[in-house]
Amino acid sequence: MESLEYRECLIELIYQLADDDFLLAYRGSEWLGLAPHIEEDVAFASISQDLMGHAALYYGLLEDLGEGKVDKLTHDRSPEQFRNAILVELPNGTGTYLEDPSYDWAFTVVRNYFYTLSKKIRLDSIKKASYEPLQQIVQKISIEMSYHMMHWEVWFNQLINSTPEARRRMEEAVKTVIEELGGVFSYGRFGDRMVRLSLIESEEVLKQRWITYLNKEVAKEPLTMKQGNGRNGVHTIHLANALDTLSEVYKSVPTAEW
Amino acid sequence: MEISTNERMDHFMNRINDGEKIEADDWMPDDYREALIRLISMHGISEIMGALPEKEWVPKAPTVYRKLAIMAKVQDEMGHGQLLLRVAEDLMEPLGKNRDDIMKDLFSGKLKFHNVFHMKAPTWGDAGVIAWLVDGAAIISQTMMLGTSYGPYGRALKRICAEEVFHAQHGESIIMSLAEGTKEQRALLQDSINRWWSSLLMFFGPRTNAETGHSNQDKNMRYKLRTKTNEQLRQEFLTKYVPRVWALGLTIPDPTLRFDAESSEWKYQQPDWEEFKKIVTGHGPKSKERLALRVQSYEMNSWVREALGTCRISKVTR
Amino acid sequence: MVSEKGSLFYEVYEVFSKKTDTSALQHQFSLLAPNQELAFIMAKENFFRREQVADIWVVKREHIKRMSQEEKEALNHLEKNYRETKGYGYLKKKWRQYEQEQLTEKDIMGGGEG
Repeated sequence: MESLEYRECLIELIYQLADDDFLLAYRGSEWLGLAPHIEEDVAFASISQDLMGHAALYYGLLEDLGEGKVDKLTHDRSPEQFRNAILVELPNGTGTYLEDPSYDWAFTVVRNYFYTLSKKIRLDSIKKASYEPLQQIVQKISIEMSYHMMHWEVWFNQLINSTPEARRRMEEAVKTVIEELGGVFSYGRFGDRMVRLSLIESEEVLKQRWITYLNKEVAKEPLTMKQGNGRNGVHTIHLANALDTLSEVYKSVPTAEW
Repeated sequence: MEISTNERMDHFMNRINDGEKIEADDWMPDDYREALIRLISMHGISEIMGALPEKEWVPKAPTVYRKLAIMAKVQDEMGHGQLLLRVAEDLMEPLGKNRDDIMKDLFSGKLKFHNVFHMKAPTWGDAGVIAWLVDGAAIISQTMMLGTSYGPYGRALKRICAEEVFHAQHGESIIMSLAEGTKEQRALLQDSINRWWSSLLMFFGPRTNAETGHSNQDKNMRYKLRTKTNEQLRQEFLTKYVPRVWALGLTIPDPTLRFDAESSEWKYQQPDWEEFKKIVTGHGPKSKERLALRVQSYEMNSWVREALGTCRISKVTR
Repeated sequence: MVSEKGSLFYEVYEVFSKKTDTSALQHQFSLLAPNQELAFIMAKENFFRREQVADIWVVKREHIKRMSQEEKEALNHLEKNYRETKGYGYLKKKWRQYEQEQLTEKDIMGGGEG
């Protein structure tokens, strides 16, 4: 590998990709058994598995780069070490998945649709990047992206074009998601260097592609990160809560193999 | 030409006795239809309710691999529910009922679900024991019904049984790690086995009507919906799993449990069938919470079904 | 009221698939969906999350003409040997008289492959 700087930026970028998919997979898994329709529950569960699988590929690469074991990376890092965007750590609604979950399907559809589109644009940009092992993983992951796009696009278009009630809920969700979507496009404090080292194209270029794709009043508000930039380790309490759940058993017997 | 009900009934029973399969659009006696609806809707809704205790452990699973595997398993349970409910719904269609009615029957307590899904699953050990032994028990009763006289049910079961092999191995893999693990892990596993034992015995239902006052065993056998009795299934379960539990150096919380060579039968302490009645009628330790989760999911998403169920969405292009 | 609204959400779709590009279409199972597009996106994961699939069709059940048990009786017919090979079994012996073997099904269907 090239310079120390290159390595540092590369690792940072992979953490961002990995942690985004990991957290959104977790949010998806909380919906298991609770989706609006049994058939959809099954379809959604596949997407959540895919996301978790994608995260595992990235963490595997980090393990190869000397960052530590996959299960340690996923179960034994503190919240400020996570590089995911705040959008993916936000809860599905009020309550927890165990008790009194009052989940918002509109928010879930919009978050997943907008995220999937931005992920696809990011991956397409990385395909041209210079680090080969990452390119190979991105090629693999891209295979599963068309189904994710199709799935969320159908749900998004159908709900927003149905009853006034559904439209109102969807528009509300669009507003909430857009407020944090900027954080998905951000590369954090290493951003300029990542672009200079040709690991990925600039945030602005990618954002513009996203806006052009949607091509309607949906994307009229600016993409912001209202609650901070997760790429720099800034997170909400929801991430800490999520990590407590995700690592509860792992940490219960520290020396164990599971 | 007018065919009398008696003639139809004779023809129908001949088909069943000849091993022919009955299909959804075929004539069938109301009695048969009712027996199928009762059996299959209970089976289907049990899969849906069965997703809930295991789902509790999905995010908490201790490695990424386990997280993925248990997610796939819970997904399969929902998928099995889908297959079975579709079979039940087609049988209910002539009665003017659909999935909505199944859900409402569940909420009102009219439609019951399996005793095991009313129980608590407080540790990761339970995630292992459910997949290993509860699914192990389910496989025994489901494979017995593969030859059922009702074609659509048989085809759904065929799909289901193919996936159960993965479930069984997923469960074995979890409990194997625990059994070979630290002192704490072994204790976790033993504790789960103790907790689940009587539920597992109850899973197959009472030996005769005497224990609970009613049972549909006889009718279901006459109609070739099933081919073995509750007790035969329970004996198969004991033969398959007791030696394996013992081989791992674990114990079963029944000091009287033994294989009686003379009668070629396992002797065991009867579970509390009064307790069983209470559990399946919705008074188990987790009955209310799990049902509440289902009701909540139904209600919080009703706007989605209403939105797409009221207006016709023509193909929307971006 | 609600149930009437709900029933439009619960439409039955039949799902068919091809395992590979060259295999025949096969019926798989059915699912409930409010419209064709949603039926389609849910079909893949409900029925093909493990097995290989090359093509998926979804068809609304009400668009399919199905047979009742009485109608199935119309499928029965008497044997018609004149349109089966078994109506021509005597030819084998005949050809022997001319010291020739009768062409088998394989010979007839074999085309130019010899």
